[in-house]
Amino acid sequence: MKTNILTLTLSFIFCLTARAELKWEQTAVELHPARGDKQAIGHYKYQNVGKTPVHFKSVHASCGCTAAQSQKDQVGPGEKGEITATFNIGDRTGTQVKTVTVETDEAANQKTVLTLKAIIPQELEISPTFVFWKQGEKPDPKTITVHAGKDFSVKNIKVTSSSPDFQTKVQETGEGQFKVDVRPNETSRLLASTLTIQSENSPKTFYATARITTAPTAPGAPAIQKAPGAPGAPAAPTAPARPPAPGSQTH
Amino acid sequence: MKFSLPCQALILAGLSLLPGVGQAIYFRDKISWQSPIPPSEMVSVDQAREWGDNTIWIDARPDDQFARDHVPGAILLNEDRWNELLPQFLAVWSPGKKIVVYCSAQSCDLAREVAERLRKEAQLTDVFVLEGGWEAWVKKNRS
Repeated sequence: MKTNILTLTLSFIFCLTARAELKWEQTAVELHPARGDKQAIGHYKYQNVGKTPVHFKSVHASCGCTAAQSQKDQVGPGEKGEITATFNIGDRTGTQVKTVTVETDEAANQKTVLTLKAIIPQELEISPTFVFWKQGEKPDPKTITVHAGKDFSVKNIKVTSSSPDFQTKVQETGEGQFKVDVRPNETSRLLASTLTIQSENSPKTFYATARITTAPTAPGAPAIQKAPGAPGAPAAPTAPARPPAPGSQTH
Repeated sequence: MKFSLPCQALILAGLSLLPGVGQAIYFRDKISWQSPIPPSEMVSVDQAREWGDNTIWIDARPDDQFARDHVPGAILLNEDRWNELLPQFLAVWSPGKKIVVYCSAQSCDLAREVAERLRKEAQLTDVFVLEGGWEAWVKKNRS
């Protein structure tokens, strides 16, 4: 019995000490893209410390916003290389965590998950980004709060409505904090407006939307919603046209 | 010292847990502990179908995938072009409508992220993530 336990324990310890052939320098990176950056790129270096070649079976990103690339399909013994993960920031904000799953033909460790954490600076935080009134509702003002993001100093903001049917009034409520009152002239018609919010000394533009909507339909009642552009329906508020996001998406 | 068979099994099971525990402690700050979507914020294809015209479908996938194919009537809203696409969605939204967001499959994050932004930033309610995503919808509707 003693021998049995010893054998089992030794084989267990052997299994523990047997390490994967592909040794990663790091499997997690944290990136801090600068304001205006379009992409954040993570580099994951590895070395084949085993005695046999390692083949990549697949390199797959968790999100269509991330493109993962391997320099080579096969890594010989002692060879080094890296996987790059390119995260397209687009209009994303705050902390973003994306993963890349790498599958190899190693016996011990076939799947490795690489993590990319990008902390995207947020110059202005706007809440809510949408205010609405139901058709016929009293046109009382609704408030949007705007405050400077962490590490940003904002002394002044400018709010512009794309439609003269909505009035806006900005009030400073504290250091880097503002209150924007939005009020429609009337609520009898279906209207929409894009509110453009800009802080001084910054080229970046932020948006909010104001709308007069139809009243909710009763459950089971036929839908009376009209497509944008249809008679009686509000025109879709427009944001400035922007170039499409880079097309290097994988998923 | 003699150990019974169950005792040996317990010792081995305990030993086998050690590497896992060690890795969990060592990598605790390096792993994305993605919180699962609460069941109340998810909807199945069948349930969403029952809502009929009271549903707005949102496709959270990248532009090229939406262009290839999508749920009929779905609106494109992804984070690549959030500022441009959100007003287009808000133009067709009306109170009382249920919003169903989907991405490629159960494992993708895009629908969860878009749904979260609609709830937090636009402060919309009745926002759901489609269980199984586009894959599940195709399976139910086209096979």
